[in-house]
Amino acid sequence: MLEMENVTKLYRTDLVETRALKDLSLVVGAGEFVAVTGPSGSGKTTFLNVAGLLDAFESGTYRLDGEDVSRLSDRRMSRLRNEKIGFIFQSFNLIPDLDVADNVEVPLRYRGLSGKERRQRVDEALGSVGLLARRNHLPSQLSGGQQQRVAIARVLAAKPRLILADEPTGNLDSAMSREIMDLLEEVNQAGTTVLMVTHDPASADRAHRRLHLFDGQLVESSAVVKPLVRPAAAGHGAASA
Amino acid sequence: MLAYHLRLAWLSVRRHPVLSALIVAGIALGVGLSTWALTVRHVLSRNPLPHKDETLLYVRMDAWDPAVDPPHTGGIPTQITYRDLRGIMESDLPLRQAGSYVSNLYVYPESPDVRPFRELVRLTWSDFFPMFEVPFRYGGPWDEAADARPEAVAVIGSEVNQTLFGGENSVGRTLRLRDREFTVVGVLDDWRPSIRVYDLTQNPTVPPEDIYIPFNWIEPMELQTSGNIDGWRSTDGETFAERIAASESVFIQMWVELADPGDRAAYQSFLDAYAADQKRLGRFQRPLDNRLTPIPELMEELEVVPEQAQAMAAASLLFLLVCALNLIGLFLGKFLARAPQVGVRRALGASRWNVFLEHLLEAELVGLAGGALGLGLAAGGLALLNRAMAEQLASDAYFRLDGTMLAAAVLLSLVAGLVAGLYPAWRICRVPPARHLKQA
Repeated sequence: MLEMENVTKLYRTDLVETRALKDLSLVVGAGEFVAVTGPSGSGKTTFLNVAGLLDAFESGTYRLDGEDVSRLSDRRMSRLRNEKIGFIFQSFNLIPDLDVADNVEVPLRYRGLSGKERRQRVDEALGSVGLLARRNHLPSQLSGGQQQRVAIARVLAAKPRLILADEPTGNLDSAMSREIMDLLEEVNQAGTTVLMVTHDPASADRAHRRLHLFDGQLVESSAVVKPLVRPAAAGHGAASA
Repeated sequence: MLAYHLRLAWLSVRRHPVLSALIVAGIALGVGLSTWALTVRHVLSRNPLPHKDETLLYVRMDAWDPAVDPPHTGGIPTQITYRDLRGIMESDLPLRQAGSYVSNLYVYPESPDVRPFRELVRLTWSDFFPMFEVPFRYGGPWDEAADARPEAVAVIGSEVNQTLFGGENSVGRTLRLRDREFTVVGVLDDWRPSIRVYDLTQNPTVPPEDIYIPFNWIEPMELQTSGNIDGWRSTDGETFAERIAASESVFIQMWVELADPGDRAAYQSFLDAYAADQKRLGRFQRPLDNRLTPIPELMEELEVVPEQAQAMAAASLLFLLVCALNLIGLFLGKFLARAPQVGVRRALGASRWNVFLEHLLEAELVGLAGGALGLGLAAGGLALLNRAMAEQLASDAYFRLDGTMLAAAVLLSLVAGLVAGLYPAWRICRVPPARHLKQA
């Protein structure tokens, strides 16, 4: 699904040049659930931005779903982001002026789907996160957990091949975190690749594999030993991706 | 997608009502002033007979003093002499021809209840009325026989008809001009040409005269001009007829209407031949210069649109540009404050073009709102101008917005929105999406 080879990312100011990613090479297979861990400043978010085609890189090659994305036009990259990648952010990143349904609809608008198909997908996705009844609420009228579920519904509606989650439980309490992780797990089980940056060991433990970054380099890639019994899931419908 | 972008733009406008109102006010001020100034220019430059541009021609002949240039612009007198009018009226080439001038006379009503009053009377030929498409409510123009004799007939305008006859059909009634009774043969309908094109030597925005009589009353009634007159040589003669026949004073506006634009060369040759004959008689001592000028060129030459109006229009456009340029900063601040949200949209699949279009549409939306408000300001300003210049204008709503100016205002609003929003929209679409995602 995702192959990086010797990817280097620099941040330059007038005085300083910082290598945020140093010759990073890794492969994430289709359908994997990978946790990316590492201390602050280790390059996790930069890695996620590069992987999500939100940031350019200086050298190396990056293949996304078999396509070399090293030198694509903005239009093509936007298209790839829209069709293949779904983002979940720590601070939810819902658009405050749009109601829940309109927020979920945003990627579908840029894909140019018909109104009928958009409505169908939005309702399906909101139903799967248990928020169909809140479709006309504004984000400010929802709790943090509900907002993150809307963000997940936004991803589900777009049916991406890859989900990039940046600290998806970072702003949530433990019960809500478990709920969100359950949702992500269900999406992954339906075949969607999930790449999740996290500081939370409990969340990282839910992944199949853990990548540990330090100082812009991959220092460890290890399989996670799954617990035999998962914590009880919060009440929500089955996720489909 | 356009509707979606417009909706997002509207949401953004609503999110910052004070800032949006400031921007709208800035554009309204610029568009309002520009539309006001452009409307003044537009009204003053409107040709009332555009379909006659190739056939209706103003005649000028240079019989001026060989030692001194004639006054005014263009190097040629703007009117012709009485003797030249007589000479060139001999031609049967034009479909219609009419010289005219105004004289200020006392009008003595039939009714003893109405006091005599002074009125500008235009002396002209019967061809004048169809030539300038003068509308009649009752009756019509006099005929060629009345021109020739002349007969004591008159055409009156609606205001004089109201004053003298209470607005009734007054054809056949009489009015006395000085010491002579004239029979009314026609009453004009409301005739308010945008420009009084038949006499551009005077203020062209005033209403047409309200009384017309045959030109040939000039000699029997010894009617002096009350319009512009220029002369360069004194004239001897015992009688009015002798003096005017020999006069080199120019005071007559001469128009010809040709049946076909192709006749112009032939009529020009006729004028040149006439001037050559006169040269042999000792007149026309300057280089041969006889001109036939269509209305648009004449309006330009005689500066019907005053230079001040032109300058005001240019200055107002400059002001609009300055307003729009000043709004760049406001738009830039507004758009860049939204960078985190734009980052989210970019992450969800919006291209730079999508972001650019969305923000440019917002600027255009605000521009149009400013334009709508500006149109209100312009309409108010024009009403004030009409009131301030009431005595010099043909109607109470002389300067008014028409379809062309409404379209111009919309265009100006869009251009102002474009100027104000183009750079900020470009800047926000170039912001790297990753930079602000953490702040969203």
